[in-house]
Amino acid sequence: MMERAYIASNKPLDNVNRYSKMSLAKPVMRGLLGKRLRFHLPIAFALSLMAAAAFKFGVTEPRKRAYADFYKNYDATKEFNNMREAGIFESVRPTGK
Amino acid sequence: MVRERRDLYSLPDAPLASRCYSHSKVETDEEFDARWVTYFSKPDIDAWELKKGMNTLIGYDLVPEPKIVDSALRACRRLNDLASAIRILEAVKDKSGPHKDIYPYLIQELKPTLTELGISTPEELGMDKL
Repeated sequence: MMERAYIASNKPLDNVNRYSKMSLAKPVMRGLLGKRLRFHLPIAFALSLMAAAAFKFGVTEPRKRAYADFYKNYDATKEFNNMREAGIFESVRPTGK
Repeated sequence: MVRERRDLYSLPDAPLASRCYSHSKVETDEEFDARWVTYFSKPDIDAWELKKGMNTLIGYDLVPEPKIVDSALRACRRLNDLASAIRILEAVKDKSGPHKDIYPYLIQELKPTLTELGISTPEELGMDKL
């Protein structure tokens, strides 16, 4: 099996930018803000809508459900009588006094 | 000294510059550049027109072409206004925003003009550091 001969490369091992002496190419100079907005604004709107949706379905809807469930079978008279017996009212005394 | 009512239709951004694609003629980039080069090339341009022109130009979503900046720098020369000339260079660098390749290109293209008119760049004056 023939041995491979590794010939040392003649290229210099520095990392100088070989193009620094050549003239710079013309970059894009127009419409830079427009390009940035076309990219970022849809993302911004999408994220904002997602944040609003997350708050609605993570906070407000459970909260509304909790209140609805609490009051679904709420008996105001029974609760009033419990409070009355507990003696927290000033305008009406507990029964038996 | 009371200044006469400025005829705003002499500014390059008169109504015909409106980019309303629905019915008026769309101006090409070359036409836009040519109008602004002409604006700053006015032999008897005054300081107000220079400032107004630069402020208007900086308001656009673009970095001015080297030939427009060249024309503006020569207007500064006619007005003996070195401060504005250097300020123009700072302004176009700022307009480039995060695109760091634009300003070196502009300076490269403007080098002959800067040498001819004797304008130092903010970097040469150490003004680009805080």
